[in-house]
Amino acid sequence: MHKRGLGFYARIYRKILIQDLKSKMSYRADFIISTFGMIMTNLSGFITFMILFHNFPTINGWDYYHMLFLYGFSLVALTPVQCFFDNNWNLRFMVQSGDFIKYCFRPVNVFFYFISEVFDVKGLGQLAFGIGTIIYAWIKIGIPVTPLVIGKLIVFLLTASLFMIALMNFAAATCFWIKGSGYVMVIMFRFKDFAKYPSSIFEGIFKIIFTFIIPIAFIAYYPSLVILTPDNVPLLSWISPLYGILFVFLSYKFWMLGVRKYDFTGS
Amino acid sequence: MNPKRLLAITRAGIMESLHFRLGIFVTLFANLIYLVLVYYLWKAIYASSGTTVVNGMTFEDTMIYLILATALFNFLEMFVVWDMSRSIQSGKIVLDLLKPMRFRKYTFWSYTGNHIVQFVLTFIPTFVVVMIVTKGAIPMGLNLVWFLAATVIALMINYNIEMLIAPICFFTESTWGVNIVKETIVLLLSGATIPLAFFPEKARMVVSYLPFRAVYDIPLSILLGKNGSDTWQGLVSLFALQLAWLLVLTLAGNLFWNSAVKKVTVNGG
Repeated sequence: MHKRGLGFYARIYRKILIQDLKSKMSYRADFIISTFGMIMTNLSGFITFMILFHNFPTINGWDYYHMLFLYGFSLVALTPVQCFFDNNWNLRFMVQSGDFIKYCFRPVNVFFYFISEVFDVKGLGQLAFGIGTIIYAWIKIGIPVTPLVIGKLIVFLLTASLFMIALMNFAAATCFWIKGSGYVMVIMFRFKDFAKYPSSIFEGIFKIIFTFIIPIAFIAYYPSLVILTPDNVPLLSWISPLYGILFVFLSYKFWMLGVRKYDFTGS
Repeated sequence: MNPKRLLAITRAGIMESLHFRLGIFVTLFANLIYLVLVYYLWKAIYASSGTTVVNGMTFEDTMIYLILATALFNFLEMFVVWDMSRSIQSGKIVLDLLKPMRFRKYTFWSYTGNHIVQFVLTFIPTFVVVMIVTKGAIPMGLNLVWFLAATVIALMINYNIEMLIAPICFFTESTWGVNIVKETIVLLLSGATIPLAFFPEKARMVVSYLPFRAVYDIPLSILLGKNGSDTWQGLVSLFALQLAWLLVLTLAGNLFWNSAVKKVTVNGG
């Protein structure tokens, strides 16, 4: 396949997006219930958080407002994977039923075409919830508001979002090899619930695993330290953008490897 | 209904889930990693609190509770709502409804096969590991029998909750939304995410009478000898609560299903 410019892909994405939104509009009840469901999951996460702090005033030296900031940070960082990469959840059904083959017959990148087919609107509710939480915690902690800090926040939120995208790509792509791999995605998605706790709680070999192999520590903890402790930022926070890009690249390669394997079985 | 026929359906369910052996292995492995996360989180929480007992739960109690709740979750997890919404969209639901057997019964017994496989392959290994690691923190005695009984009732309650929710898909054509609302509520209020002992006093009062507790909290309380389940009186009241909810949910589920099934519209099938 020859290379095409970004402009070409942006145009195609816009067209597919409009189609998707139109088809979603025809299931209005589903849209309302899904939005309600999204609010419920966020609320439930928040209640769990409140119950924890009701019993334990600090966790690993982190007080309430710092934890709240981390929580909001993780919610915003998880929005892109929710909004743009939601179709990964359908991958295993498509592969099993054979419908996936249609994506291989288009003159565009298979991964791009597959992922662009679904835009998940309800992720925006989570974004609003997350931004609200960040602002509230921001004021309470008293972090100065300067263009530099805001700029850093945006860059590192984007960085943080890369890791969950990569993890879900990996998890979804396992279905090319393993039958009944739905649970891999479910559990990977549950791992994200631990992103909102400071990763300093891990010790020994698991610290390495949860930092580099299943990078839960990068979903919120390391990127957020740039804002929370500006005088004492660990090196890992600074290299997180590079590591994030590498991780997404690897997950993309893994996904495409699966596609090639799928072609061979020819089902 | 001929028990032989029910057994045949259950057997088919067993065969079907054994077909995904690698999936089960991956599940076990992923669970292990998940439990490591839970372990470190609660270890840090207890270390920061400065006391060893919070709300009558020691760190060990909390860990055993959460590990077994996760194992129970895997074993009880049903995809009735998912399956049903899928078969509504594809039109397969018509074939299921035409079978010479009650749909509810058929679904229940075919899931039973899956439950048996999950129980043997995921719950029992987890239980044995917890037992060995904690060296006797789980009391061994009659409570195991009561636990099994409570788990069977929990399974039926869980199935009835699913069956009460699933027909909503007939009306709304919503799949993800209905399912996620159900799952979130059940997980939070049943004590699977955070032990009910940690809930604030008033919230705990309310939650302790809801049906969700009967799915995870009651079997686990009985197993660990908490919540007064070490006395006959306490045990009887826990079982009474479970059975009362089972009855209510079964009746409600039956009524709702019977009226909902008339509303099924299948687009093309």
